[in-house]
Amino acid sequence: MLKATIDAEIFRESIDAIAALVTECRLHTAEDQIRTRSVDTANVAMVSLELQSTAFNSFSATVGELGLDIAKLKNIIGMMGKGDALTLTLLDEERKLELSFGGYRYSISLLDVNTIRKDPNPPGIDLPGKAVVPGDALNNAIKAAAVISDKIALGIDPDAMTFYMEAEGDTDHIKLALGEDELVALNPVQARSLFSIDYLKDMGRVMARADEVEVYLGIDHPVRFVFDIADGNGRVEYLLAPRIEAD
Amino acid sequence: MGVAIRDLLADCKETLTWDDLSGIAALDAHNALYQFLSIIRQPDGTPLMNGAGRITSHLSGILFRTVNFLEKGVRPVFVFDGKPPEFKQETINERREHRARADEAWKTALREGDMEEAYKQASASARIDSHIIASSRELLDLLGIPWVQAPSEGEAQAAYMVRRGTAAYAVSQDYDSLLFGSPVLVRNLTVSGRRKTRGRTITVSPERIVLSSLLDRLGVTREQLVEIGILVGTDFNPGIRGVGGKTALKIVRNGEFEGVIAEKQPDFDPAPVREFFLDPPVTDDYALEWRTPDVEGVVEMLSSRYDFSEERVRSALAKVSVKATQKTLDAWF
Repeated sequence: MLKATIDAEIFRESIDAIAALVTECRLHTAEDQIRTRSVDTANVAMVSLELQSTAFNSFSATVGELGLDIAKLKNIIGMMGKGDALTLTLLDEERKLELSFGGYRYSISLLDVNTIRKDPNPPGIDLPGKAVVPGDALNNAIKAAAVISDKIALGIDPDAMTFYMEAEGDTDHIKLALGEDELVALNPVQARSLFSIDYLKDMGRVMARADEVEVYLGIDHPVRFVFDIADGNGRVEYLLAPRIEAD
Repeated sequence: MGVAIRDLLADCKETLTWDDLSGIAALDAHNALYQFLSIIRQPDGTPLMNGAGRITSHLSGILFRTVNFLEKGVRPVFVFDGKPPEFKQETINERREHRARADEAWKTALREGDMEEAYKQASASARIDSHIIASSRELLDLLGIPWVQAPSEGEAQAAYMVRRGTAAYAVSQDYDSLLFGSPVLVRNLTVSGRRKTRGRTITVSPERIVLSSLLDRLGVTREQLVEIGILVGTDFNPGIRGVGGKTALKIVRNGEFEGVIAEKQPDFDPAPVREFFLDPPVTDDYALEWRTPDVEGVVEMLSSRYDFSEERVRSALAKVSVKATQKTLDAWF
């Protein structure tokens, strides 16, 4: 069972966070929250999202699992106005989700959860390096690197006390180092891994809206980004596998 | 081969595009190799061979299909059969005899100059021996493609991996995967594309069967689906003469499974076969990692030892080597 009302903007933010990686997901409902954990089809990146009941204007749910067509939801969200209140109602018998806002009433078919890949286990990764970065600074760096390359190195230099992003094109090079003044916090442990900009661009657009993004890094390890949404009533985590440095 | 329940599945098959297929695919290795060996042949039915007469059809299939998979975002893992259960012996003997007969018929057709018949019989004579298995594994290792040794049936292990969420779907031409409980089965993945059958060129597209939808549509449980399989015959029991999918469905729905077996095959105890489908031996002992292909290693194996054109091998590998620099999260789960 699910019946809940939420600010359209918060819902948009949540769906955008998921849509950066997947086009469908299993959404778990519980008495006090909704959550999802999905891996993209290539098994390169994972998104986890939790939205507490406090993020909603009203929330009533029982434990359940819904197959969401994220691509379809994203289109519907485009119709919502700022400040609209969105009511979500699960129509159990018909396996449909009803979205009503601003006079519209959409009823969308849910996907058969059996056709959606099962939630991955929470990965056990030790990522010792940590920097807390303003979301827009992170997104801007990704965009800057995208101009010259399809991959970017993220790292921490403990001697210089900086978190840095570095990209190498065929002929061009770009490096941005953020020191203690520009960072919210830094755990200075040597770290450096290379990542695909294709993935980071989509994540960056979502992270740009966050005041602070926690970035966890290791050496040739995945990167984990963690940030709040919905005024701290929700949390998003991205995990992205590294690329191997080519010869 | 496998379980003959095709007539029950007609409405449950969805034709897919490659975009629907990205993700991890657990392939029934023997089934895939058998497809390669049957299909990749010269017009008179002779399989591809190197100068020393060693068969290379399967290596060609693995190389070019795998490259195609990776390009399309499909990450294959090959699951090899282990020790067959004792009650499969009869099927194994029958297949051996069938292949021997086909082998004879192929030679006869060649003598008579009937190329169409020769190709057909040659396909049916394809066999998987220790050379085929060993060389397949060697090539997969060099390509950086993971493979899993099943303790028993490969399809059972593949189904288990899909149930566990390790893989998105099982790939086989046989329907047994569904009896083994694979939530999703994809067919025609190793044979899709344009293909010649009996002189005509047809297009074969991948198709998907979702177990839960199939059970809903038939109005049966998985246990009952296994009973249907046992009635029509599986690799582990011959089935009842004259009973096809629809009759079996009726029998099972009416709760007459035990009665019909007791009447028609009083000496047959279906319990071990049922047990084998519902709870087959499987293993958690596998690690899935897709590594960058060892280009020089593949060239050495295929071009130096198996007489493949080096240019073709290199150009196939070039298509995937760029993507292969991206690691997946599997290594950390």
